[in-house]
Amino acid sequence: MTQEVLAASRCPRCRRVIAPPAAMCPDHPVAMELVEVPAVGLVVSFTTLYSPPEGFRSPLHIAIVQLEDGARLFCHGEETRGVKIGSSVSVEAVNSIFYFSHMGFAERARLFWRRAGYRGEKVAAISKSFVKNIWKGTDRGDR
Amino acid sequence: MWIAGVGMTRFGKRAETLPALMAEAAGIALADAGIERPGAIVVAAMNPEEFTGEGNYASLVATHLGLSHVPAVRVETATSSGMAAVYTGYATIASRLADSVLVVGGEKMTHLPTPRVSEIIGRSIDAHERSYGSTMPALAGLITRAAMQRRNLTLKEISLVAVKNHAHGARNPFAHFQEPVSLEAVMESRVVADPLRLYHCCPISDGGAAVVLRAERTRVRIAGIGQGMDTIAVRYRSDLTAFRATQAAAEAAYRMAGFGPERVQVAELHDAFSPFELISMEDTGLVPPGKAGRTMLDGDTHIGGRLPVNTSGGLKARGHPLAATGISQLVELTWQLRGTAEGRQVDARVALAQSIGGLATNNWVTLLEAAR
Repeated sequence: MTQEVLAASRCPRCRRVIAPPAAMCPDHPVAMELVEVPAVGLVVSFTTLYSPPEGFRSPLHIAIVQLEDGARLFCHGEETRGVKIGSSVSVEAVNSIFYFSHMGFAERARLFWRRAGYRGEKVAAISKSFVKNIWKGTDRGDR
Repeated sequence: MWIAGVGMTRFGKRAETLPALMAEAAGIALADAGIERPGAIVVAAMNPEEFTGEGNYASLVATHLGLSHVPAVRVETATSSGMAAVYTGYATIASRLADSVLVVGGEKMTHLPTPRVSEIIGRSIDAHERSYGSTMPALAGLITRAAMQRRNLTLKEISLVAVKNHAHGARNPFAHFQEPVSLEAVMESRVVADPLRLYHCCPISDGGAAVVLRAERTRVRIAGIGQGMDTIAVRYRSDLTAFRATQAAAEAAYRMAGFGPERVQVAELHDAFSPFELISMEDTGLVPPGKAGRTMLDGDTHIGGRLPVNTSGGLKARGHPLAATGISQLVELTWQLRGTAEGRQVDARVALAQSIGGLATNNWVTLLEAAR
């Protein structure tokens, strides 16, 4: 599977990683250093809002995803059908907003065949457009 | 440290201004304490600027009470502001800056549309998480789903919290809601933040509450008070299903009191969302980890049960006028320890109150004990 990376920061003292990058470790008054982390992880929890705040479309799916190195992300998702706590997901930043997509068997297979069709292109770029297509036309307001 | 007087307004939709609600509560508490002029005033209000358009609240309230020459400060720790004000009052007396303190808190918000109120309360959430549409119910929904799996809670057990607290509220003339609700009504209410439903969420309420603290002995003692903190960003926490801020606050309060949870006989817990009552029971050590859900099926926390919780109706039924809430917990528990909680009296000498600030970023646990 393709692996993109996301910008994060690590505490030089306790080694914890948080994303998006922060200036200061939440547990120590120590400046964090910038790192890149693989954009795949597990769903910690998820919810769906049916009366989201102004600027968001209903239903609004929000998940917390824990990346492999421990950083947790807030993400939007297209749907939560089939998603469980512990599900493997890939995460992509589109216009600085994180989106998770549940890599079920069908999606993985589709991704594989699309990838085969564009042989020679960078796999990461295809994966990116795949996620972007899902999100085209969504209305998030302008924050 | 002793509680000399308590008072509160009825919570709910109120026509009065916030200073008037605070004055009503303060007047009752001062009369109860037999004090006309306290040595100091601590005012709790979470977002009065946004809700009412007025600021400089300590001076505003002091003047409104006719106590404009009494030293007054305002304290704020989001939704636990009331208990933070009690702590400040405690510190004021313990440091001998004053020998009596009026602690008064309140909020006025029902005059605004619900989305506006939610947005103002939501400002206590980390800005990055808020940019994803996270509201208090959204974060509570995320926590609820994780807790259901990790702590073995069922939707029925969570819903029974709301049913119980409405039943208790029906016995409290100061409660916002004084009508019982059925389990079916709770479980079939509309989904707000899946799996949380509308009846798992506390209402928007107006109200005021006050306590008078004194160095001189009365019938109820503050045996311990503790504060606990956690990150403002929920994503910085390694466990969604327990609140480190409550655990730290409980540990500090028990240490100060010199006893543990086994002596607690009645509790007021911060059930802004029904599952929080169950999480809080475990965080304060009132039940072992993973056992809170079971107590709902057994009826342990009902009035008349082994360990009554939220005899007032809790945030769910008594209501949640933000900065009044922590203080109103002590009002209820003082009535219980004095034996004057008419219609809902339980047999208890030691009581615990737990207040959650923000999404469990700044929490408090207070222990009260009836004098022998």
